[in-house]
Amino acid sequence: MTPNSQKPTLKMEYLPVLQELQKIKRPIEARELSRKLHLGYEKLMSGAIYSLQEQKLAKFTEREEVLLHLTEEGKEYVKKGLPERQIFALFQEKGYKEIKVSEFAKSVEMELGFNKKLFFIGLSHMKKNKWVVTSKATGEETIFVYNEDAPKSSLEEILQIYGDNQVIPLSSISKPLQEYLPQLLKRKLITREKVTIRMVELTPEGYMIKPNEINLIEEEIQMISSDMIKSGEWKESINKLKKYDVEIEGPKIYAGKYHPMTIIKNQVREVFHSMGFQEIQGPIIELAFYNFDSLYQPQDHPAREMHDTFYLKHPKTGKLPKKSYVETIRSIHENGGDTGSTGWRYKWSSEIAKKLLLRTHTTATTLRYLAKVGLEKPQLPIKVFCIDRVFRNEKVDRTHLAELQQIDGIIIGENVTLSDLIGQITEFYKRMGFKKVITRPGFFPYTEPSMEVSVYSEELGAWLEMGGSGIFRPEVTYAWGIKHPVRVLAWGLGLERLAMLKLKRDDIRDLYQSKISWLREVSY
Amino acid sequence: MPTIELKIDQLSELLGKKVKYETLQYDLQWISLDIDDYDPENKTIKVEFNPNRPDFSSPQGIIRPLKGYYGLEKGLIKYHVKKGKEYFKVSAKVKEIRPFVVSGLVRFDFSLSEEQVITLMRMQEILHWAVGRDRKKVAIGIHDYEAVKGPYIYTTVKPDEIKFRPLHLEAYELTPQEILEEHPMGIQYAHLLEGFSEYPMIFDAEGKVVSFPPIINGTYTTVTPNKTKILLLDLTGTDEKAVNVALNILATTFADMGGKLESVKVIYEDEPDKEIWTPNLAPNNWIAHVDYINSYIGLNLTAEEMVDCLHKVRLDANIKDPNTLNIQVPAYRNDIMHEVDLVEEVAMGYGYQNLTPTLNMEGFGRYHPAMKLAQNVREIMIGAGCIEMVNNILISNKDNEKMGLKLKQTEQIILANPVSNEYDSVRRYLRPSLLKNIQFNRSEEKPFRIFEVGDVIIYDKTRETLSRRELHLAVMVHSDSSDFSEIRSIFDYFARTFGIFEELSIKEDEDPTYIPGRMGSIYYKKKKIGSIGEVHPQVILNFGLEYPTATFEINLMPFID
Repeated sequence: MTPNSQKPTLKMEYLPVLQELQKIKRPIEARELSRKLHLGYEKLMSGAIYSLQEQKLAKFTEREEVLLHLTEEGKEYVKKGLPERQIFALFQEKGYKEIKVSEFAKSVEMELGFNKKLFFIGLSHMKKNKWVVTSKATGEETIFVYNEDAPKSSLEEILQIYGDNQVIPLSSISKPLQEYLPQLLKRKLITREKVTIRMVELTPEGYMIKPNEINLIEEEIQMISSDMIKSGEWKESINKLKKYDVEIEGPKIYAGKYHPMTIIKNQVREVFHSMGFQEIQGPIIELAFYNFDSLYQPQDHPAREMHDTFYLKHPKTGKLPKKSYVETIRSIHENGGDTGSTGWRYKWSSEIAKKLLLRTHTTATTLRYLAKVGLEKPQLPIKVFCIDRVFRNEKVDRTHLAELQQIDGIIIGENVTLSDLIGQITEFYKRMGFKKVITRPGFFPYTEPSMEVSVYSEELGAWLEMGGSGIFRPEVTYAWGIKHPVRVLAWGLGLERLAMLKLKRDDIRDLYQSKISWLREVSY
Repeated sequence: MPTIELKIDQLSELLGKKVKYETLQYDLQWISLDIDDYDPENKTIKVEFNPNRPDFSSPQGIIRPLKGYYGLEKGLIKYHVKKGKEYFKVSAKVKEIRPFVVSGLVRFDFSLSEEQVITLMRMQEILHWAVGRDRKKVAIGIHDYEAVKGPYIYTTVKPDEIKFRPLHLEAYELTPQEILEEHPMGIQYAHLLEGFSEYPMIFDAEGKVVSFPPIINGTYTTVTPNKTKILLLDLTGTDEKAVNVALNILATTFADMGGKLESVKVIYEDEPDKEIWTPNLAPNNWIAHVDYINSYIGLNLTAEEMVDCLHKVRLDANIKDPNTLNIQVPAYRNDIMHEVDLVEEVAMGYGYQNLTPTLNMEGFGRYHPAMKLAQNVREIMIGAGCIEMVNNILISNKDNEKMGLKLKQTEQIILANPVSNEYDSVRRYLRPSLLKNIQFNRSEEKPFRIFEVGDVIIYDKTRETLSRRELHLAVMVHSDSSDFSEIRSIFDYFARTFGIFEELSIKEDEDPTYIPGRMGSIYYKKKKIGSIGEVHPQVILNFGLEYPTATFEINLMPFID
């Protein structure tokens, strides 16, 4: 015998369950057991069976099963026979050999209480079963007996299986008969239910054990109610309180939640705000003039072509700013204007600059801000940023989107330097969580010097290209009155690249598909 | 970005110094090169370079600044061009089509190896793209000089005036017109000659076709590995500066490969006084100022130190006065347009890795008013148990139609060149996006309560861009019990919390998106700013859904400070 300390422990109230199982002596379906014991199924499973299993006295196995329930109508027919059987019985009882359909319908209604619809259902099945045939040979449709014996139909065979039961498993019906189930379902005589069948059985120890070998404990209570708290009953009950398995997950709740992209955008905003930057916003539908020309992108530059940029069919062109600005941009492109540059040396067209497009970078918006600063001449330095949508005419796949979000920061100041820019970028990425940052020579058409920015990802253990930066060229700033020694430091990066890293996604499309199951679970 | 493949052993040989992948990986980035790929088996690297440096299109081109970086050589490389005897006569007829031609001869003491011919073809390809804008501005012909005889004539012919055997289709004699229609290169580049009644052609003294620019060469002058020893170059184009730069890049690279350069004269028929000798490898002279450069980079270098930096990146410089440098830029560079470009050269010579970051934390951070408001609204909606959606502004007009939203033709915004019909417009309302979210998630567990705070685009002829953006809030509920009262409760909660409940009113209205009798328009100060209601079953079905759905959407612009 096992020593006392290793006696299985069981709540008093579960003892009858054990005893019942010992009596049954075979595996039993859990619902059946629950009916036998007059105990709720859930309670039985999560209480007694769970405890017995925990004490290695019982075990259960699970499988999926389809249950076929009789409907109220179905129950009636199990007792009285299907309408076709009842009607045929009446037919024979009356001793008919043949009878007009309309006439018979009336007598069926009178004798059996079947309405017309039910009568015709019955009739069609009598015909299907080849018990009777109908003919219009005599003018009006008439019923004739075809097989006096009226052998049992397949539907009747199925109903017979029920016996006294109201529910039977699908597996109790033979394969050939199962083919007829859709008819019963269609006639709404049965319903299907998918369930998990749990077979409960005692272990050898469970069969052998006697009550005096079990450490029986008192009944538990589920919760301390308000009444118990008020009456003081809790003092006694607290010891009987059901212990919870605190390690198990609770049921899921679907609460309100931010989209992860908003969270990441707000983190970026926070970093900019903490570094003294103010946010700006600009048009999404933009003039080529601000998106390209003002950024010193020559009009034959490949990035301006249709296969890279979304242009508008309607409205097609917008209005250029006042003439002096347009003429300044023209001369900067053609010969450098007053910037000291050679210019691109080609003929610039204001028609091309008028085109409307979906902006390809937020730099179009920072550029508009330069125009404002040039006009209003506020105190320098000025630090602004922009996080907003940009568009590229690209086929969407794992690594490309047609609509993206871009982050741009600029500092306008007197004698600001490349070393200042490296300092700002390093600090920015540090606050974004990247401790190691490299800025190395790069190229962008509207900045000089230009730098590529790479950051080291601790998670991936690799350097990642994270964005670009530089000092706006004089050809870009002079048109707006921002001239030496005032300069504009700028850097930018794509929000999605950052988001994919932070959210651990490798398909860029995931970010905007708003898959609710992901949004409900995602952590940020 | 253009790329070029380099064998690490070849680099070591050209440098005269043993280099390894690991060191190159670190070092190349400081001369603005990026290793894209490494093949450890063949010990080759694929290097990406910026399109403003077409002179990096050969191993020889990359070696120049790398030698400077390692301190193996410094300053401008001197190239000798011997005055040659060959010349090109240019007919006035080319003026309207491709007005410029430049040329040059390169004599090698040896036949070109297979590897050298591959380098040459790869360069040609990169230059066509990076300098030539896919042959529009510059088209390059490289020929076996010994197969033809000068002088050469650059003129035009009628589309079917002559017949010749083009490269790649040597077996056929074709007219220029037939080449444009049948030859793969002709088909690819025919658009460059569209609209012209005559086509450019280069003949030799005996009337043999040397080249049909910018399409294809003739067969006589095919460059053959282990045979060709002397190269004749022709570069035609629409941009005089660009044809010269491309020629200079080729010529200097060939010289670095051991070729001897010989100039070719170009005479323009209608300008008899003009006589041009190419390649012209004289450096371009620039002036830069020490204080200007220092103030840009944040350094305090002396003029002498700056000269050192410039030498490293293979420029020459001398000190005119303590604040002024005379700088010579090699003829193969076309990226210097302004003094600021020389700032970058000095910075690169100094080394970006050697710069000390400086940090100035002036300024006051501040929200954009619209962002602040959007954030407040999001917080309220999340409190109401709604999940935030973030959707594209790009939308298909079909989705508007499926919702019963009909915009006036004149007020529609339509893309000229959509990639797919999934996006052919920009959204005017948020609610089609939300209904699409539900469609995408239709098999997920309900109930759904979703919202979006985002921009829509509205046609507005008073604006310079003929449009304006408007910040909207839309909320949508979708479950077997969703109805007007559910959405109305959410709306009321939002309006109260946001502090606008008293200023808003809802009046019964009609709208094809909604069920009649369960729809209202939302008014603020007598102005309609939104709608609320139960979505019409037909609309629900149009999106392939089957649960009751209710929604409201309002314009938030009146509430932005």
